[in-house]
Amino acid sequence: MSQLPANLVGVMEQRMKLIEQRSAYLQEQINQPDASPEEYSRANKEFHKLESTMDMIKELRLKKEEIEGLKSLVENSVEEKDLREMAAQELLQAVDEEKRLQHNVFRSLLPKDEADERDCILEVRAGTGGEEASLFAMDIFKMYEKYSQNNGWKFDVIDIMGSVLKGYKEASGTISGPGAYGKLKFESGIHRVQRVPVTEKSGRVHTSAVSVAVLPQADEVDVQLRNEDLRIDTYRSGGSGGQSVNTTDSAVRITHVPTGTVVAIQDERSQHQNKAKALKVLRARLYEIERQRLHMDRSKLRSEQIGSGDRSERIRTYNFPQGRVTDHRVGITHHSIGDIMEGESLDIFIDALLLREEMDAISSFSS
Amino acid sequence: MLASASSAAVASSSFLPRPKPKPHLLKRLASALTPPSPLSPSTGADADADQDPTPLFLRPPAHPVPAPCLAAFRRRAAALVPPSAPHLHRHLRWLLADAAHDPDADPALLRAPLGDLEALWLRHVRDRRPFQYVVGNEHWRDLVVAVREGVLIPRPETEAVVEMVGRVEGFEAGWWADLGTGSGAIAVAVARMLGPEGRVFATDVSEVAIEVARLNVQRYEMQDKVQIRHGSWFEPLEDLKGKLMGVISNPPYIPTDDLPGLQPEVGWHEPKLALDGGKDGLDHLLHLCEGLSSVLKPGGFFVFETNGNKQSEFLVDFLSTKWDSSFHDVEAVLDFADIKRFVTGYRR
Repeated sequence: MSQLPANLVGVMEQRMKLIEQRSAYLQEQINQPDASPEEYSRANKEFHKLESTMDMIKELRLKKEEIEGLKSLVENSVEEKDLREMAAQELLQAVDEEKRLQHNVFRSLLPKDEADERDCILEVRAGTGGEEASLFAMDIFKMYEKYSQNNGWKFDVIDIMGSVLKGYKEASGTISGPGAYGKLKFESGIHRVQRVPVTEKSGRVHTSAVSVAVLPQADEVDVQLRNEDLRIDTYRSGGSGGQSVNTTDSAVRITHVPTGTVVAIQDERSQHQNKAKALKVLRARLYEIERQRLHMDRSKLRSEQIGSGDRSERIRTYNFPQGRVTDHRVGITHHSIGDIMEGESLDIFIDALLLREEMDAISSFSS
Repeated sequence: MLASASSAAVASSSFLPRPKPKPHLLKRLASALTPPSPLSPSTGADADADQDPTPLFLRPPAHPVPAPCLAAFRRRAAALVPPSAPHLHRHLRWLLADAAHDPDADPALLRAPLGDLEALWLRHVRDRRPFQYVVGNEHWRDLVVAVREGVLIPRPETEAVVEMVGRVEGFEAGWWADLGTGSGAIAVAVARMLGPEGRVFATDVSEVAIEVARLNVQRYEMQDKVQIRHGSWFEPLEDLKGKLMGVISNPPYIPTDDLPGLQPEVGWHEPKLALDGGKDGLDHLLHLCEGLSSVLKPGGFFVFETNGNKQSEFLVDFLSTKWDSSFHDVEAVLDFADIKRFVTGYRR
C-alpha cells in the first residue's frame, strides 16, 4: 500500500481536526439538559452521521501514538539488541497499519453521494426513430433487467407503454438492492443505436435514440408530500359511481401541483396499488429535482456530467453492424455488443465511470 | 351495446379477420340482448364451472394444457373482443394469470379444464358476467378479495373507508362493526390494522355473504380479530350495545327504480339484496342512523357510504337535526371523483 502524497495528508489532517471539533461540539449539544427536542434530534442525527468517520479517526490517532511509543522505544534501547529488534519489527507493522487506516479515513472524507446505497427507479423512453426506437427501448429495458438479476437485485416493472411486437414507447421499473443506484446512476442520458431495423427491407442502417433516467428512490422522510399539493385523477364512470358501477379500470394519475410533475400508473389491478406505485415514482422524481437543485450549488464533484447525469447528453452508442458499444464519457469501446445486451459486460463501462468519479472527488478534495 | 357490437363484428368479416364462430354460438349471440336468467340452461361445461363454489383462482392447477393449445385459446378469445371494449384484452391477460399457475409454461397447468375457460370467457364477453365473478376475486386495496355470485363486488370508492378508520384516534384497540359485510373486504382490511385488543364484528343477512366473508377472513388469517355474525344490521349486536368504537357500513343504496337501468354487469349479475335501497335508496341508511346511537360508545365514530351528493346531504342534515343530541361533527366526505360519497360523525 502506497503512502498518500504529502499535500493530501496535510489537507486530511485539517479535515480530521475539523471533524473532531464538530463531533465534540455536537456531543456537548446532546448533553445539554435544556436542549429543545428539535435541537437534540438535529445534533444527534449529525453526530451519528459523523460516527463512523470519527471511529476511523480515533483508530488512526491511536495508531500514531503507538508508533511514537515504538519509535522512542527503538531509540532508547540501543544496548538491548533483542528488545530493539522486536520493537523495530512492531514499528514496521504499525507503520503499515497506519497507511491502511489513513486510506480508510481518506476514503470516508471524500465527498460521496449518500444516495449510492439506495434502490432506484429506471425510466426508459423511446426518442427519435419511430418504431425502431421503441424496439430498442424494449431491448435496453430488458438489458437492465438482466443486469439487475446478475447482480442479485430485484427488478419490478412499474409500467410499460407499448407491446412486445411494437416495442416500448415508455417503460419504468424499480430496482432494489444495496448499491443499485450507485452503479446504475451512470446510465442516465441518451443511448444511441445504429442498426438495421427488423422491418427494413433494403438493409439500410437506421439511427435512433433512447433516453434513460435513473432516479434514487425516496421515502417519506426525504420527500414529504402534502395532500393539498396533490391532485389525484382516477377512472370516472361518468355516472354516479359507487354501487351502480362495476369497473376494473383502476388507473391513477397523480399531479404534484406545485411542480407540475405528473405520474400515471395503470398496470396494477387495484386503485390502491396503482396509487402506491404512483406515489413512489412521484417521490423519486421530486427527490431528483431537489438533488439537481442542490447539485447546482455544490461544487464538490468537478465533473458534473458524470455525477448527476445530464439527461440530454449522448452517453453511449450501440453499433450493431460493427458489433460494438462505445461509452463517450470514458472513451471505452467494447467489442461484444451481444454481451452488453445480455446485461453481462456493462461493468466495463460502470467501473471506469466509478473510477473517474473517485478521481474527480480526490482532485476536488485538495482544492 | 357491447352484445350487438360483438354480433356485428362477427357478421362483417371484412372488418378484421375473425374465425367463423360455430352455429350454436351465433344463435346465442343473436339473443344476447335479453339478459340471461339464472334458470336458463347452459352448456355442460358452463354449468360445471358454476357448480364448484371455490373461486377459480383458488382451485388447484391440475389441468395440464400444451402451450400451443393455450395460445390458440388466447387467439380465439381475443378475437371475440369488440373494438368498443378494449379493456377486455386486459381481462383476458388477467384471466390467464389467475387461471394458470404459469401461463407461459409448457404444458401450462390450469385451474380448470380449457373447455371451462372457453365457456367462462364467452359468458364474460356475451353475457356481461362481471370479470370478478369469472376469476372469483377482486383486487381491492392491498388485498385479493374472493368473491362469487351472491356477494357484492367491492368498489374502489370504498377503499377510502379503511383510511378513515385509521385516522380515528385509538382505533387499533377499538371494537368495530362492519354492517352488511358482504365479501368481508372492509372487515378484513380494518382487522389487519388493529392491535391485539381490536376487534371487528361483521354482520350480514345473506348466507352466501357469510360463507364468502368467512373464507376471506380465513385467507387473511384474521379469525382472532373478526367475528362474523349472521343477521340483519344491528340485530346480532345486542351484547355490544354501547361498546363499539366504530360502525362502518356500505349498505344497499340504489333507488329501486334505478335498478333496471344499471350497467349490465351490475344489474344482471350482482345481488339485488346488496343494491336495493328502497324508493329513495335511503331505507337501509336511515335504519342504520336510527340504531347507531345505542351501539356506539361515547366518542364513537361512524362512516356510511351513500349513492352520492343528494343522499349524503340529506343524511348530514337528518343527523344534525333530529339526532343532534346524539352526534357531532357530522359531515359529508368526498370520494376520488369529488362526489359526496361518505357520511361520517361522532357519538357525543
